[in-house]
Amino acid sequence: MASDIVIADDMWDGDEQAVVTNWFASDGATVTQGMLLAEIMVAKIQHEIRAPANGVLTIVRKVDDVVSKGDVVGRIA
Amino acid sequence: MTTAVKERKLTVARAMAEAVAQEMRLDPKVFVMGEDIGQLGGVFGNTRGLYDEFGKTRIRDTPISETAFIGAAVGAASDGMRPIVELMFVDFFGVCMDAIYNLMAKNTYFSGGSVKVPMVLMTSGGGGYSDAGQHSQCLYGTFAHLPGMKVVSPSNAYDAKGMMTAAIRDDNPVVFMYHKGLQGMGWLGTEAGATVNVPEESYEVPFGKAAVVREGTDVTIVGLAMGVHNALKAADLLAKKGVSAEVVDLRTLVPLDRETVFDSVRKTGRLIVVDEDYHSFGVSGEIIASVCERDISVLKAAPRRVAYPDVPIPFSRPMEQFCLPNPDKIVAAFDSIAGA
Repeated sequence: MASDIVIADDMWDGDEQAVVTNWFASDGATVTQGMLLAEIMVAKIQHEIRAPANGVLTIVRKVDDVVSKGDVVGRIA
Repeated sequence: MTTAVKERKLTVARAMAEAVAQEMRLDPKVFVMGEDIGQLGGVFGNTRGLYDEFGKTRIRDTPISETAFIGAAVGAASDGMRPIVELMFVDFFGVCMDAIYNLMAKNTYFSGGSVKVPMVLMTSGGGGYSDAGQHSQCLYGTFAHLPGMKVVSPSNAYDAKGMMTAAIRDDNPVVFMYHKGLQGMGWLGTEAGATVNVPEESYEVPFGKAAVVREGTDVTIVGLAMGVHNALKAADLLAKKGVSAEVVDLRTLVPLDRETVFDSVRKTGRLIVVDEDYHSFGVSGEIIASVCERDISVLKAAPRRVAYPDVPIPFSRPMEQFCLPNPDKIVAAFDSIAGA
């Protein structure tokens, strides 16, 4: 079963857009639940995105992509 | 099928914070001081998480008075503590230089060796994101010129962690100069090559040992910090032209690994030094001198340098980008000596 990696609504206040600043795992890497996967930045503050499940990572939104709350940045299958 | 490799990539910022945290767990004498290094986690991310784990007595936010708190760190270090103190931008060194080069760097000598000053002065440098002439300088040469302190600058997260660990354990003052563009902080520009796999366990990257990060036979490109990434990109461009470039990452300026540079130039016969610090009176001249003084006959061509022009750093993006070292300038430098 695939899990989407979604930007949570409560990650920051307001509806400003964010930028993906880092992926700490590569596309196709095996990841474990809870592991730090990525950082996204809003107004110079970085927020952590952690793995929602165990599995193989597919990166959907690359570094420097602009993203919004609710967006799927990656998938774990 | 590719073998699954256990990945543990960190940004330079996270690698620095991890090294500090691991040393703080081992040694109660280690503490951190600086502006916005507490709850904010450092403007460049390198103290993130420390405040939550160690609290406000060991992760101490200071007022905006470098003169006072860097002086205080020298005193604490001379009295047996192991402070890590952050000068937020190296450009601000003017107001606290007496504490740095007359006290931190000299106390050990002036006391005949009876006073040690085991402190780390960590400070950010480098430009490329339009922060103008008081927030973009590297100033490597300024610090490396003055005796009595080690001066280091990592190009990637693996080195950053190991060099920070080594810096904290060193009984001498260490100036740990990190490049903002390598921190993985997004708004400072992101150099992807700096975010690499980092072991979770503690380790040291010893000072005074340069790394040959790419082997080649036709030219040696020497750099540090961001210069290494420019050199690697230039080496890719040169490879397309059939030129094999060797890239040397100095990693530390004091002590300086002249041997590795010389050995590489003896093999390739050509030398290009990349330095984001100012052109004149700095790292690039020192590297060239250390080859020429030893044996000028190893050079097939005049050495070249790709450094920052001797002008204050402009705010305007096109003007700043025009001045900064980049891979194309390195390729052009090679072309100018290729026929030799």
